[in-house]
Amino acid sequence: MIVDVNAYLGHFAFRRLRHNTAASLLALMDSKRIDKAVVSSASAITYRNAQAGNEEMAEEVRGHSDRLIPFAVINPFYAGWQDDLKACHEDFGMAGLRLYPKWHNYSLSSPCCRELVSAAAERGLVISIPIRVEDNRERSWLLNVPDVPLEEIVELVKAHPKARFILLNGIGYTGCPLGRKDNGLPSNYAMELSRLSAVLANELGQLITNLGAERVMFGTGMPFNYPDPALVKLEVLDASEADKEKIRSQNAMTWLRL
Amino acid sequence: MAIPQITSGPPAPQPGVSRRTLLKGSAATVVAMGAAALPSACAAIEQPVHGTSSGPLRKGKVIDCHAHLTHRSRATWEADDRKLIEAADKLGIDQLCCSTLTPHRPATADGFRECNRWTADGMRRFPGRVLGYCYVNPGYGREALEEVRRCVGDRGFIGIKLYNEYTCTEPVVFPIVELATELGVPILHHASHSHYFVEDQPRMSDGGHLAELARRYAEAMLICAHISGGGDWEWTIKALRHAPNVLLDTSGSVTDEGTVEMAAAVVGVDRLLFGCDSSMTAGVGKIRGANLSAQDKEKILSENMMKLLRRRKP
Repeated sequence: MIVDVNAYLGHFAFRRLRHNTAASLLALMDSKRIDKAVVSSASAITYRNAQAGNEEMAEEVRGHSDRLIPFAVINPFYAGWQDDLKACHEDFGMAGLRLYPKWHNYSLSSPCCRELVSAAAERGLVISIPIRVEDNRERSWLLNVPDVPLEEIVELVKAHPKARFILLNGIGYTGCPLGRKDNGLPSNYAMELSRLSAVLANELGQLITNLGAERVMFGTGMPFNYPDPALVKLEVLDASEADKEKIRSQNAMTWLRL
Repeated sequence: MAIPQITSGPPAPQPGVSRRTLLKGSAATVVAMGAAALPSACAAIEQPVHGTSSGPLRKGKVIDCHAHLTHRSRATWEADDRKLIEAADKLGIDQLCCSTLTPHRPATADGFRECNRWTADGMRRFPGRVLGYCYVNPGYGREALEEVRRCVGDRGFIGIKLYNEYTCTEPVVFPIVELATELGVPILHHASHSHYFVEDQPRMSDGGHLAELARRYAEAMLICAHISGGGDWEWTIKALRHAPNVLLDTSGSVTDEGTVEMAAAVVGVDRLLFGCDSSMTAGVGKIRGANLSAQDKEKILSENMMKLLRRRKP
């Protein structure tokens, strides 16, 4: 069983994505033997009204709930986000959120964001935060969106010990408290592996040593990314089969109550 | 001097990811996990297995066209170099075309000569696994040319590495290109195209510059470095469409889906070279994930690079 906690549907404003419909993503997953994927709307990253993207995605994944697990993109600075959160959870059955603080121009420490995180935690929703969407060097001339600083994540997980966070598309965790052993932080966050090294610096191995395999989850970033690099990491990772199984699926299934 | 062979030293360890899985795609992973049989579309294509090669530049090996040994100002350089080879073993990469770059840039003549001595030493420490690029700063004129002649002629280096000391269209670079053409060796040129000014690399070359250089020197063999670590890869691929003597290196940390397929469609698969530039799983995963035929992947993984290396003049 392989569960991908980092997948998307829909269009991205700055690059054509393939495999971005439910049918084509499922076909790609089949070809790679990926069983389930957590998906959110790529369009909602740049839509002003992110809820329109959530609605598109809810329609797209209908009939595929056995394999595609929808997450909502919510902007806590946009009018009506409380209504959107309620609709995504109660009407669309979404199991979590994806937050884009830099794309949506707010701080993770802002009262609005904190209110959203509390509301999501109250509902038992998992909150995932992509540290980046794409490599900043290839950005459009129209904008410059920085990565989410890991220091801001540190403060967020500390401030919301009852919330559960999955950090996506991140790197450099071992260079900050998030990836260090005995860091004094609540164990309410997990890190997805798509950008982590499994050889040379081997940050993936360091994280397993420092925090345990329970804190790492498999993810690809498809269809933004090829899924294969993440799969290759699992193949070459120097870890026990039991630990690999946790990363491959067990951790995500526990967190998502699958 | 002959190109190093994979004949000396102990047999390489069995790779974690064999050449077969490189070619057939990641569904192989699951077979290894004990899952159901592969669909026919993913069937493996029999190829020589890594570690069994016995001659130079034989068909079927995997060559990383863009790799680096560690500068020895870094205390862990020896262990880092060993880790590079271990990673190549795990990933089924037979040979790595390496340069050593100095962190003290722009490189002085002493600086690049020191780097090249260390690259030569790496070729001796990892015989048959490490092939050397001679790194020079073209601004040193005669000294740079002498260093290229020494490295390629006497030390068996396979090509030249140019970084960002000069944009490749500046006349100071031309004598290096002319010498590379005379010797019949490729130039791997650092390149990137971003839609903003990269302040710390003001003389960065991009695909457009390389295309211009290629028009000036139609016999030169130029390699545009890391299309997956060089900014807007769609721009770079399009900029190089009409520059047949520029090959594109697929290395870099970016794993954007569709990169390799677009490059193959626009410039042709014969102009693509597999590379990692230290992003090892990214480099391997991109080729494995690309929706191309096994024959096309063979070209990217080794045949195209071998063709370049065979053009070396005696």
